[in-house]
Amino acid sequence: MASLGELERAVMERLWAAEAPVAATALRDGLADRGVALTTVHTVLTRLEQKGFVVHDEDRPRRFAARASREEHAAELMHEVLGQSADRQAVLARFVGGVDPAEARLLRELLADDAAR
Amino acid sequence: MLPATAVSLAVLAALLAWPVPVLLARAGWPGRDPLVALVCWQAIGLAGGLSIIGALLVHGLAPWGDALPQAGWSLLAGSPAAGPVRGDHWVALTLAGVLAVELVGVLVLSWLRTTRTRRRHRAQLELVVQPSAALPDTRLLEHPAPVAFCIPGARPLLVLSSGMVAELDDDQLAAVVAHERAHLKEHHHLLLLPFVAWKAALPVLPAAERAYAAVRQLVEMRADDVALNSLTGPGARRTLARAIVAAAGGTGGAGVPDGALAVAGAGVRARVLRLLEPPHPLSATARWAALLSAGLLLFLPTALLLLPAG
Repeated sequence: MASLGELERAVMERLWAAEAPVAATALRDGLADRGVALTTVHTVLTRLEQKGFVVHDEDRPRRFAARASREEHAAELMHEVLGQSADRQAVLARFVGGVDPAEARLLRELLADDAAR
Repeated sequence: MLPATAVSLAVLAALLAWPVPVLLARAGWPGRDPLVALVCWQAIGLAGGLSIIGALLVHGLAPWGDALPQAGWSLLAGSPAAGPVRGDHWVALTLAGVLAVELVGVLVLSWLRTTRTRRRHRAQLELVVQPSAALPDTRLLEHPAPVAFCIPGARPLLVLSSGMVAELDDDQLAAVVAHERAHLKEHHHLLLLPFVAWKAALPVLPAAERAYAAVRQLVEMRADDVALNSLTGPGARRTLARAIVAAAGGTGGAGVPDGALAVAGAGVRARVLRLLEPPHPLSATARWAALLSAGLLLFLPTALLLLPAG
């Protein structure tokens, strides 16, 4: 039995891969190798909707689609995750923050000087 | 005499609120031994809080007795005061209570908030990151900016962007991962937490801002040091320096927020210089002197509070 987190990922993968909105039954059929019941698929979709990743239309039966493409999702996530407020820096440890272009050039010169010696 | 104790504690608190953090933030030696310097910063924070609250308590409780534990007990037990109780005694007691609640409360709130944000970020990230085939316990995120970060906690998450993987060679990536693992292994987020919290709680105290910046920088330097210990080869320092420069210079215009760039810039340069031209490590004597000072800093207010005065 896969965890809900893994199922959420699998469902998102399928929604991102799909050209058009997908019905829950089609998602269940796609996940047949995991032996997932239709109710579980609905649970996962509801959770994803609450998180704001999935939207559905008003057709009968309802069909589901990813709210944003994978790239947009990654970009939004990056923006939120790496926002540089003081709180954020306590939340996660980033390898190095970005610097402005002048500083970046200065840093590259430091490296070049070091390599020349 | 109690007033003398209160005055000593107040003087200690004043020293720890301004000159001591400023001097330590300016000093050159912390870069030579970030771990010892981090211990000193924690001692300064703890002793500072202890002495200011202690000074107020000692003054406020003066009418109830000579030694703080006994005077506090008398007050709680409802015994009559030995001396006249004036308004300033009540003001001091109230301030002590407010300050204690604020410092501890902000710390707890800050911890709860960061934990909640971490959990949300982790849940969102887990939907899109892929396990890395080459680097164990590392996830890949599809994004052009060269970014690496870890989310600490019970289930830590170490994330590299595809931009980072494209930009760096294998040795540099190993150095980045070693740096992030060092943060996780040594729980650096816990060392930062009190300084984040108190910076938010005491915006009027400029030293809080400096202390936070210094601790943040030291934590990065310490992680660099730990990473170097786990990397082999003579070029490890240069490899790590190259990785830092590549990651710092490559984020512009890729949808990654870049606030406070100038502040980050000076810190990044200090890290790179330190890797290219390593400073002499502190001598054993200097190390022990610094650690002893940190210990004394904690012992002094504790002793002043607990020992009977006079």
